[in-house]
Amino acid sequence: MAIGTLAPPMNAAAGPAFAEERSRVWRKLLRNPAAIAGALVLLVIVGAAVFAPYVAPHEPTRQSLIRRFTPPVWTAGGKPGYVLGTDQVGRDILSRMIHGARVSLLVGVAAVAVSLVVGVTLGLLSGFLRGRVDTVIMTVVDVTLSFPQLLLALAFVAALGPSLLTIIMVLGLTGWERYTRVVRAEVLALREKDFVEAARAIGASPARTLLRHLLPNTFSSIIVMSTLQVAQAILQEAALSFLGVGTGSAYPTWGQMISLGRDFVTVAWWLPTFPGLAILLTVLSINLVGDRLRDALDPRTS
Amino acid sequence: MKRCAPLAVVLALLACAVAPMPAVAQAKDTLTVALVSHAPTLDPHMHFERVGILVNINMFDSLLHRSTKLQFEPSLATSWKAISDTVWEFKIRKNVRFHNGDVMTPADVKYSFDRVIDQTKKSPQYGNIRAIKEVKVIDAETVHIITDKPFPLLLERLVFFPIVNKKHIETVGDQAFGTTSPVGTGPWKFVEWKRDQLIRLEAFDQHWRGKPAFKHLIFRAIPETATQVAEVKTGGVDIIRDVSADLVPELKTHPQAYISSTPILRVHYVNLDMRAAPFDKKAVRQAANYAIDKSAIIQKMMAGLGTQVATVVQPLAFGFDPEVKPYPFDQKKARELLAQAGYPNGVDITLHSSSVAYRPVFEAMAEMLTEVGIRTTPRMWDPGPAWNKFFQAEGKATQGAYGTWGNYSVFDADAVLHPLYHTEPGGWIGKWFTRVEGLDKLIDEARSTVDQPKRKRIYAQIQQIIREEAPSIFLWTQYDTLGISKKVQYAARPDEWLWLYDAKPAAR
Amino acid sequence: MLSLVARRLARLVVVLAGVSLVTFAILQVSGDPIALMMPEAPEADRAALRQSMGFNDPLAVQFARFVGNIVRGDFGQSFFHREAALPIVLARMPTTLLLTVFAMGLSLALAIPIGIMSAVRRNTAFDHTATLVVFLGTSMPVFWTGIMLILLFAVHFRVLPVSGWESWAALVLPAITLATFSTPLLLRIVRSSMLEVIGLDYVRTARAKGVSEWFVICRHALTNAALPLVTVAGLQFGLLLGGAIITETVFAVPGLGRLIVGAIRQLDFPIVQAGVFVLALIVVLVNFTVDMLYLYLNPQIRVR
Repeated sequence: MAIGTLAPPMNAAAGPAFAEERSRVWRKLLRNPAAIAGALVLLVIVGAAVFAPYVAPHEPTRQSLIRRFTPPVWTAGGKPGYVLGTDQVGRDILSRMIHGARVSLLVGVAAVAVSLVVGVTLGLLSGFLRGRVDTVIMTVVDVTLSFPQLLLALAFVAALGPSLLTIIMVLGLTGWERYTRVVRAEVLALREKDFVEAARAIGASPARTLLRHLLPNTFSSIIVMSTLQVAQAILQEAALSFLGVGTGSAYPTWGQMISLGRDFVTVAWWLPTFPGLAILLTVLSINLVGDRLRDALDPRTS
Repeated sequence: MKRCAPLAVVLALLACAVAPMPAVAQAKDTLTVALVSHAPTLDPHMHFERVGILVNINMFDSLLHRSTKLQFEPSLATSWKAISDTVWEFKIRKNVRFHNGDVMTPADVKYSFDRVIDQTKKSPQYGNIRAIKEVKVIDAETVHIITDKPFPLLLERLVFFPIVNKKHIETVGDQAFGTTSPVGTGPWKFVEWKRDQLIRLEAFDQHWRGKPAFKHLIFRAIPETATQVAEVKTGGVDIIRDVSADLVPELKTHPQAYISSTPILRVHYVNLDMRAAPFDKKAVRQAANYAIDKSAIIQKMMAGLGTQVATVVQPLAFGFDPEVKPYPFDQKKARELLAQAGYPNGVDITLHSSSVAYRPVFEAMAEMLTEVGIRTTPRMWDPGPAWNKFFQAEGKATQGAYGTWGNYSVFDADAVLHPLYHTEPGGWIGKWFTRVEGLDKLIDEARSTVDQPKRKRIYAQIQQIIREEAPSIFLWTQYDTLGISKKVQYAARPDEWLWLYDAKPAAR
Repeated sequence: MLSLVARRLARLVVVLAGVSLVTFAILQVSGDPIALMMPEAPEADRAALRQSMGFNDPLAVQFARFVGNIVRGDFGQSFFHREAALPIVLARMPTTLLLTVFAMGLSLALAIPIGIMSAVRRNTAFDHTATLVVFLGTSMPVFWTGIMLILLFAVHFRVLPVSGWESWAALVLPAITLATFSTPLLLRIVRSSMLEVIGLDYVRTARAKGVSEWFVICRHALTNAALPLVTVAGLQFGLLLGGAIITETVFAVPGLGRLIVGAIRQLDFPIVQAGVFVLALIVVLVNFTVDMLYLYLNPQIRVR
């Protein structure tokens, strides 16, 4: 039940076939309105995150006790200039959300990057070298999979103290096993194929075989997995914030904003709701795009 | 059929799972209280959790009781007097029954103290009564408590020192006493304890004060604020504690609930690290005090439920000197002092806090300090192992840490001055942060005499010194705010106790 | 077949050893437990306690002692509760299991019919709507879903209790909250497995023979979905246990997740160790069962 396997080898050596393959994927993607909508939303969010200081209408840390709990502009009591309202100390929610996009996405992407590097490397080694190495690595995978990721993350972050780096590392190091499994399955399937034999015949070293021929063929699975994992990481970070082990910095993630605002949901519903919507939209878009990406890359479903 | 296999597995698991879930009727004679958690044991001597104390006081009595006006009242002791500087005599009430029918005698009183004084029992409350050397039974209704030196806090400490049944504990053992049969003399007796879920108590008909108004008392453990508020609104729970100021208007206007709030001892402060720059300079510490607009925070962020204080000594505590005035809000003065101290362009600091409920207040204060040039980075911590290590074990929370202190309901200046400022190794934070000349000596002097007027003078002196030296940013005392269902009549107490004997069903 | 089972069992034991190693390691990372148990005690007392509790021994020795104890079911005494840790953990386990299994059951109950319909009515409004709604559930943080459900069903509509574990009704909201987590993936699997077989020959033959459409679908197509469903459901179990931690806190359910979270906060080693180990053990056993079921259900492997 591997995800997105059995794509035809996208060997860089097979030039024209590769290009044609790529455009086929693109065309499939573009045919789906949900995927397009999702991609556009993501573009907006990433853009906002990158250009945050220019896009945000206010300083996200600017407080004002008079402006506490201002409701959104379209409701009674709303103030123009504070579109989505203000929080417990009068900071503009929209600006905090835009800056929060940075941190949330950073945590998501960085954690996944860590997982990816560790997981793919181990997966390649495991599938290619087989034997003892494979057994050891897969046992480690099994062990890691036995712990609920959240529990491990919670234990380590609580012990090491909250900080952005700790959270990224901990989320990264508890989420790599999925990559290993998928990449290993791919490598196992592909290593007997002709082009690998051919490479060996012309004297390519194992490392070269691994990197130039096998790795590129796992890209599709990795890409799909990564998009979904970023969504997961954002949600896991929110869960950690809820349990009280957030990053503790002045620029909160969306998850932290929800966590901090959840007690006030009955008196200031806009506090946790808008960051919640932000997470919802981001994760939804990622899921839609990732889903279609998987469908597009997998020749079986069309 | 093969496809049934997964389903069968699921169903089998379901069937095997334990399901002791009887429906609980929310009857009119039941009072339900929400706590954020339960203490690890019901044995009143073997924990120091606030949530544990709240349950214990409804099951056990102590020698003294405190009225809502904070006067000492007789409880298991009918009268008391000091026969010397180190010996107090207590007359013990007769015909008081334990929940299991035994009669309470002075032997039980002695036994209760012995089990905490005995260090092999490792009671966490030992520190509170360290000064008690011995308890002697004089006759069938008299007990002497002997301290090793004059101990002015003795009566305060006796308000929460539950008396337990010697014969019972010797029969069932400490372990069972704390988990399955905690027998006391209080208004309610134990029925069951489902850990992390609820503690169920039932009215004790032979209680010496008379039966309580509610037949059943349940303490539920609900960690999440939003859930607690939802429960009190829907009638699932009758009383919730620590209602955030921002939620007060909502519960006040809710048709099924109301708010009861009263000032308490809990004082807020920011302890400053005097070991290093910039708070090694008095001018900077004072500047920090001038920078905070306490009145604005109390009005706008605490719904007015707070009182500014001049120092950490609370207005309700013995020894409080009203002549010492709080620092006014004066940004100009703050900037001047800062420049005087050698920081004309301001200074950068970090402040720490693990007070999750007051995070917005903490952040607002950081902003106020920044405005006068003390550029503050506020760092929030989860109250857990990492924070304990950082703050208490290693004293690294420089340049300062926000905190609150409730004196463990002891209405005496010593109960806040000693833990916060005394530099002896057994102290709380003083040992790391406080470096005020002569303060230790004064604190020791005040706590080793029972001459109350003399102590009052010393405390007045201490308050003037610390007001001037400003080892902390002095803030305010808070209120205890309860959210109560309209079906119940109860008022919040200044000692933060939930003395539910006073709770009554609301008149229809 | 027997050798396969034996190999799997051996693997299980090795995994358990790895699990205990990680459990042991978590706590070494958090620093000096003695300083946290008694922050005010003089260093001499602390050193004595450290020695007597064996924290000064080399790590390998400590680990060996740890494993030896676990095998006998001894996880030490909880610092907080002052009772043996393992019984406390085991007492809470059924609650968490009940919640998780119920949520899994609910997930399957939703995923199977909706997945089938989605496959049969492929690419229609139903399909897209179902996908969207189900994905919505998985795109919100679990605690947020829980709080929203409380506000909607317990406070606004008053049809269910807000929290607690007093009656079967109290199980509903937490189970739904958890189920929103795992339903999407299960639904996708049912849907794609169905799609795989719906056009196949033997199905068409059955149709030609006059067998009713629904019978065909349910009998033949579902069988195809059973395998991957079982596998993924097993994998999801670990995820669900993680979600249960959060759900238990929001709904005040007296389960194992909440106990462990509290124990981590208080640095109550024995409880954390016992709790994490028991949870991991459950996941390992579930995966093992799934493995066995897979072997049993998959005719190809059996023949070999």
